Order: sequence, then structure tokens, then C-alpha cells
Amino acid sequence: MTPFDLLLQQLINGLSLGAMYALLALGFTIVYGILELINFSHFNVFMVGSFIAMGVLHLFGIEGQSVLLHGLPLVGVLLVVLVVTMIACGFLGVIIERFALRPLRGVKGPMAMITTIGVSYILSNVVLLTQGANEKNYPNPIPHWSFYIGGINGARITVFQILIWVISTLLMGGLFWFVQRSRLGKAMRATAQDPDAALMMGVEVNRVIMTAFFMGSALAGAAGLIFSLYYNFTSFGIGFSAGLRAFTAAVLGGIGNIPGAMVGGIIIGLIESLAGQYIAVKWADVIIFSILVLVLICRPAGLFGRLAPTKS
Amino acid sequence: MLKRRFLASLIAATALTAVVGLPHGAQAADKTIIIGINLPITGGDAAGAKRIMNGALLGISMANDSKAVPGYTLKPMVLNDATPTAGQYDPAQAATNARKMVSNEKVLAAIGPEMSGSAKAMVPILSEGNLTMITPAATNPDLTNPQFAAQYMPGGKPVFFRTVTTDAFQGPNMANYFAETLKVKSIYVLDDSGAYGVGLADAFQKQAAAQGIKVLGRDRLDPTAADYSSILTKVKSLGAEALYFGGVAQAGVKLVKQAYDIVPNIPKGAGDGMYSPDVLTGAGFPAAEGWYISNASPHLTDDTKLSQWIGDYQSKFNESPDDYAITAFDGVQVIIAAINKVVASGGTPDRESVRAAIASGTVPTLQGAVSFDKNGDITQRIVSVFRITHDPKFPDGDPQHQFKFVGNAPQS
Repeated sequence: MTPFDLLLQQLINGLSLGAMYALLALGFTIVYGILELINFSHFNVFMVGSFIAMGVLHLFGIEGQSVLLHGLPLVGVLLVVLVVTMIACGFLGVIIERFALRPLRGVKGPMAMITTIGVSYILSNVVLLTQGANEKNYPNPIPHWSFYIGGINGARITVFQILIWVISTLLMGGLFWFVQRSRLGKAMRATAQDPDAALMMGVEVNRVIMTAFFMGSALAGAAGLIFSLYYNFTSFGIGFSAGLRAFTAAVLGGIGNIPGAMVGGIIIGLIESLAGQYIAVKWADVIIFSILVLVLICRPAGLFGRLAPTKS
Repeated sequence: MLKRRFLASLIAATALTAVVGLPHGAQAADKTIIIGINLPITGGDAAGAKRIMNGALLGISMANDSKAVPGYTLKPMVLNDATPTAGQYDPAQAATNARKMVSNEKVLAAIGPEMSGSAKAMVPILSEGNLTMITPAATNPDLTNPQFAAQYMPGGKPVFFRTVTTDAFQGPNMANYFAETLKVKSIYVLDDSGAYGVGLADAFQKQAAAQGIKVLGRDRLDPTAADYSSILTKVKSLGAEALYFGGVAQAGVKLVKQAYDIVPNIPKGAGDGMYSPDVLTGAGFPAAEGWYISNASPHLTDDTKLSQWIGDYQSKFNESPDDYAITAFDGVQVIIAAINKVVASGGTPDRESVRAAIASGTVPTLQGAVSFDKNGDITQRIVSVFRITHDPKFPDGDPQHQFKFVGNAPQS
């Protein structure tokens, strides 16, 4: 491999990683934008999503990596799994909001945030106790198609990596369109700017908040499925390290800011991948979090500025 | 405070004895000796840890059935040192468990832990309580190295014994295997940042360099991270002829999967932390195929002399044993022999007499006669090597049939 191929390969690795962080970061950002609440249960909604998707794949009779599908069945199965997982996770998010967070909405201080940490632990322990702690071999029906850029010794792209980019771009684009163009999206932006004024203008704030939780959690479910298919494994513990990096991505881009979360995720993915190549994996976390601190010192609102409720 | 805790544990122990003792009728008069067991039975290494636990439990129940210790009933006290936050063994939990064992006077000896990181947290506490522990799996050399006696032997006497050898042999012997048998010229070395993994990778790396293998680099994986593709891409770009990993299943499973994708054709090796059903089922086949895994004990489960024992184990637990289930069983035999020695000499077994009997004795076990040197290490130093070879006739998670024994690693 030439140094250029190597750089290209690490960029491909980093982009795939970054796309997953970005999907996960969006959930933090949507909820924060509206409620100014850091929702730590998001970490484990992602993890639960990966297990729900595993259950659906098992229903299709797919175990391990030996059952491979092609053509229409493959597309069909993946689409069904993706949609079921996203809807299930979306409802999980709505349930968390309705029963754990809405009763605390008027309460000042960090109570709601601490509740989300509690919910996060409940989710991870429920999965731990019902599914066991060992790392699960993930059912994956996608064949190992890949091609090389610049000959057999060049950089390799797998078809699944391209699929990750396409799905992430579509989901993020869809979300962006929804928030910018649709009625409910406008209501969301209005609530983000000033919840009280929005309420007075006839916006159903509860519905807006539920929608935000539904969409954020659905994206986390999609990220959980993609993550597990990409790495061929899942465990009850995947939420914390991936979630923490995604959260960092959201803050880096400016929490509350949707394009910021996408760019933040890609940046974190690229740093992780390039640091592993050119410095050492053991320093990757130090570098990621140092960059976060530096950005926040120079631009406290993140790279793209923060979008949060105006407090009067 | 201490007095109250003592009283509480005494009451608890008495209540326990009453409950357990009564149904046995004739045994009601027997005195109870508790053998502590500490293993990560819910973590990322759960399936391997359970086999070790079952080996120890089988030893205890067989001893009770055959009344191996006249006048005494042995009872296990199983503690788990895996926590949800760590996702695998957690040294802080191991320390708590060590205190729990020390504070219960009926615990005269213990089996475990599986992981050296846990052992490093437990041994100082055990040493102060003069409670003997025999590990069937923890191989980090520091634990029995006289250089660290202040840390791991503050009581001045060895309380930590092993029925397996240490990474001072496991690492270097595997390096010899890579140099002499696999004829590897260059290698990249990784560890999982745990006490065991770092120590094993260090020992391997040193001997590999001494054998003339070019060590192209060394890096450390975060076991909770998911993505190892960037470091593996680096390994590939350096043209490494082999990869060695010191660590346990949590990082190991992900490494096996991603290495299969990025560097499928080079020989890959690891230590006994990867000799576990968790690696087989977590990584699956074909990803796990071809890894060379060492074990710090002689290979036993294919031994025809042990077929009776293996049958007993299989019928009791409905799964096949692995070699560390046997070293755990052997650990229990060592403890029972020590208690019997004390009883036979007319004494009442207590922690010190049991400890002294273990330190000085030679005990016939499944792996042969076991005796310890003055630091607590087993005197035999065999390191066996396995190649993961898929046998579709047996379940993927069956270590006895999916780890194919390929020979003992050459001694330095």
C-alpha cells in the first residue's frame, strides 16, 4: 500500500465510523434543541435498537454470517429490519419521554438529566439480565462485496460501507427537510426558539416534544442496526463508548444544531481513524477529547453555534 | 464496626449452616468449611468463567459425596467480580469480594480469580486476612514475583497459589512457537490495556525480539471501543507477517472479527484469555478459524485417563469442560488434601494450617502431581498451543472440540 492508498483507506474507515456517530449525535441534538436536556438514555436506546434488529433478523432465520442473501430478498429483509427497528426505538423514546421525563418537565436543575442517566442504566441492565453479558455474534445476511481503488493493494471499500453512507445521508437529509419544511418541523423550530410563545401561538408543545423523541430514538435505532451489521457484534455495553463519542460530536458541532451534529460526527470518526494510523489507538480518546476542549474554549457554542431555547 | 460485622457474618453463617445442614440428617453434626469462589460469571468472559466455576463446584460436590474430609462438609461461596459498568471483570468488585471472603471466618481457602487484574486487587486483601487463594487461570507473573512481595505478600507468607503456570512462560514460549514452528519474521503486538493483557504482550514481545522476529509496532486497544479497523489497516500496511494479541474476550472478539476482514491471511496468536467459548461464539466462524491460542497448563481434555471425569462433568453440567475447568478442579483437590492433612495430624483446620499444608504439599490431581515453589507458582511449566479449527459436528461454543491441540510450545 502506498502512503496515499493508506490515507484513503483510513478516510474510508473514518467516514463510515463518522456516519454512525452522526446518526447517533442527531438524537442528542434534536432533544437538546427543544428541551435543553442532555438525554443520556439515548446511549442505550441505540443499544436496544441493535438487539431489536437482531431479534427481527433471527425471525427471518438469519444466524451468524453463514446465511447470505442476494438481490430483492436482501433489500427486502434489510428494509423491514430497518423500519421495524426505527419504529420500535421511536416508541421506546416516546415511552421514556412520557413516563420518565414529562413529569419532571417543570422542575428546575439537573433532575431530568439525572433521570435520563437512570433510564439508561435500567435499559442496559434489562438487556444484560435477559440477554447475558457476552458479546453476541450478529446475524448478517450481507455478502462480503468489496472493490479496490487502485489495484489489489489499494484502498478497499466494502459495499456495506457505501450503504452506510447512503442510508445515513438519506436519513439525515430527511430529518433536515422535515425540520426545515414540514409543519411539525416548523413547530419544532418555534418551540426551540421560545416554548412559551409557541404554546401561545397554538403549537402543541407536548406533541412536538414527543416527535423529537420519536425521531431521535428512531435514528438511534437505525444507528444501532448499522453499527452491529458493520462490526458483526453487539453487546449490552455498546451504548456507552459509542454514545459518549456521539455526544461529543453533537457538542463539537454545536449541540442543538442539526448540520453541526453531522459534521461533528464525521470529524470524530476521522480523528479516531487517523489517530490510530498515524499516532496510536491508545491516544485516540485523548486526542478526541482534547480537540473537544480546545473547540469549546475557542468557540463555546461549538463549531456551528448552539441552537437552544431562549430563556427570558 | 468490625465487631458488628463479625457478629453479623457469624449469625449469617450459623443460619446458613442450619438451613443447609438439616436436610442431610446424619451430616447435621458435620462442621462446615466454606470454599470461596470468585469468577466473572456474568461478564464478557461468562461462558469460560462458568466452566471454571463448574470445575470447582464438581470438586466440592464429589468431595462431599465421597466424604473426602471426614467430619466436615464443604460449601462453596460463589462471588461474581464482573460488573455491568465494566462489561467484564472489574478489579474494584474483586476487591469487595475479597473483603467479603476474609470477613467470613468459615472461609478457609478460595478458588479464583480468572483474571489477573482482579487478582492484583484481591491478593493484598487476602494476604492481610491470611486467606489462601488458588487460581486456575490468572497468569500474570507479578502476583508471585518476590520483587513485588510488599504489594502482594504483605503478610510475609505466600497466600496466592496457581494450578497453571505464568505469563513469564506463556508469553515467551508462544514467541518461540511463532519463531520456530510458524517461522514468522515480523509481527505486530497489541494488548487490551488490562493487567493480564499488557503483561502477556510485554513478555511475548521481549522473547519475539530475542528470537529475531522484527516487532513492527505495539499498540493498546480500548476494550469498550468498537472500531479496531484503523489499527488493523496499519498492521496490513506495514506488511506484518503475524499478529499477537494479549488480552481477554471483550476486545478479543471484536479484534478477531475485524482482523478476519482486514488481515485474513496472516497467523494470529493470543494467550489463555482467548481460550474461551466466548471467543468462539462471539466471533463465530469462519472469523475465528486459524487463531493460535496458548494455554498455561498441559492439555488435558483429550487425555483418555480423564474420560470418566469428563463424562461426569458433562452429565452434571450438560456441556463439555475445558482445560481450566480441570485446573479449577485440581485447585479444589489441593485444598481438600491440605484440610485432610491438618485433620489427620489432629489439628483443627484454620486458615494458617491450611495455607501451610498447601504450600508444602504435593497433591495428585488430574493434571498430575501438583506442588508449589516458595512463591506459590506451580512447579510444572507446560504451555500448550491450540489452533481454532472449526468442527461443524460440534456446537460452535464447544471449546473441547473447536480448539484443536497442536502441541506444547517450545521452552526457552
